[in-house]
Amino acid sequence: MNSRERVLAHLAGKPVDRLPLMPITMMFACQQIGARYRDYCTDYRVLVEAQIRVAETFGFDYVNTMSDPAREAADCGAPVEFFDHQPVALVEDRALLADKSTLARLKIPDPLGGGRMHNGIQAISLFKERVGSEKLVEGWIEGPIAEGADLRGINTLMTDFFDDPAFVKDLFAFVIELELRFAREQIRAGADLIGMGDAAASLVGPHFYEEFVWPYEKQLVDGIHAMGGRVRLHICGNTRRILKGMGSLGCAVVDLDSLAPLHEARQQAAPGQILLGNMNPVTVLRNGTPDLVTAAAAQCHREAGPRFIVGAGCEVPRDTPPENLRALCEYAHQHAP
Amino acid sequence: MPDLKLLYEAVVNGDAKASLAITQQALAEGVDPLILVNEHMVPAMDEVGRRFEANEFFVPELLIAARAMKASLEVIRPLLIARGDKPAGRVAIGTVKGDLHDIGKNLVASLLEGGGFEVIDLGVNVTPEKFIETVNLKQANIIAMSALLTTTMPAMKSTIEALKSAGVRDRVKVLIGGAPITQKYADEIGADGYSENAVGAVALAKKAVAT
Repeated sequence: MNSRERVLAHLAGKPVDRLPLMPITMMFACQQIGARYRDYCTDYRVLVEAQIRVAETFGFDYVNTMSDPAREAADCGAPVEFFDHQPVALVEDRALLADKSTLARLKIPDPLGGGRMHNGIQAISLFKERVGSEKLVEGWIEGPIAEGADLRGINTLMTDFFDDPAFVKDLFAFVIELELRFAREQIRAGADLIGMGDAAASLVGPHFYEEFVWPYEKQLVDGIHAMGGRVRLHICGNTRRILKGMGSLGCAVVDLDSLAPLHEARQQAAPGQILLGNMNPVTVLRNGTPDLVTAAAAQCHREAGPRFIVGAGCEVPRDTPPENLRALCEYAHQHAP
Repeated sequence: MPDLKLLYEAVVNGDAKASLAITQQALAEGVDPLILVNEHMVPAMDEVGRRFEANEFFVPELLIAARAMKASLEVIRPLLIARGDKPAGRVAIGTVKGDLHDIGKNLVASLLEGGGFEVIDLGVNVTPEKFIETVNLKQANIIAMSALLTTTMPAMKSTIEALKSAGVRDRVKVLIGGAPITQKYADEIGADGYSENAVGAVALAKKAVAT
């Protein structure tokens, strides 16, 4: 059973030889090949090289195209700032939709139009060519509130929920169309799984999540399913109050950050939901010891039960000691679900 | 004389129009502006912080409450300055150099302002030189730094070192926070305090100016 077969079997509820291993690495992966992170974000060949290197070195079961949250927004025309050694970031004080009326004129960019989205799709094609039969290939899109925040400015969007709820719904409807087009091209290029990051969802409470966010996340997940795709949902931050909603979207994988207890997610999610995570990536994985990491992985596994994939709560930090990451990986390599 | 309980409620509920209207009416009728702040607005923001900590309020609720408070403070602050009243402390706050994330920093800034501090918000991607300049030109006595990324947190250390080199380290208390920050890291780089959340940051700042 190779890595790709293992993950796909686990997702399908079939027997597997050991726990699948799918930690998020971006800057850590880039560091493995000594490249600049700017190049990792802007040149798919660098990203692919780094992802394959880290996956092979540590025995990950997958590779992914995630690099920063700004691919779609940049192609829409949002001002972004590039750094040599950090992720591309949105420039909020010049947000594309600072003036709400701009939304009515905003066109959805062509994902194959030579921009940053296209670069991500090219990464998937190259992954498929180089390791597609061996490793699971994961693409990436932003969720409704994350992308809405990228386009509108996160601080402004937070007050829009009170000031102009109709605009928020129009904005999210635009985002769904944008992300479905992006996801479709990623699936066509060969993505086995679409990662969906909806970080800002953890900033709003259950009331706004249920009224504004969940219905659009559901549209996105259903749309990807209709294309024959599968979804891994990741929401950074404290999602404790929205676990039930996250666990009822029908995602193949719900990937939890460290602030949300896995045992609570297990109680609240739909039966059989695969959970991924969620040790603290800084205090345990980066600052801890291999023994601490092993103990934390075992604790996560106990709380999640057999429908579990090994990973950290969020991205593996760039300067994580390799022996700590190796301890996380060995837990997966040595344990059955 | 307006019912000043309504000012408290307007801030807690994030009703900026009501907050401003009640403040203006109270001032026009001769209510001491410091009473509006200390007896109504500070307790209101304390309550907002309590609800935030208890997961009853989330970021949108906190931001609209802060907006209501600011609407009132904008008319109150010039009166306090004119008569020489001093704030609890003067905080220069910013997200460190190389980091553009500001939602956490904004929450802390709002709660500090609600706690009676004067807050000089330097924004994001703030250089050590900018912090030093604010200490020198605006007499800030607290520097509050935020970082979301493990890759940008070293800028906190270099800012503290720059404060030392510029000879102003002893004039300020340095407080730090952000997702990857820990008390251990604060101790390692010689910060005066660390809080893991926005509500705790206010208590920390009050403690810092009291010592």
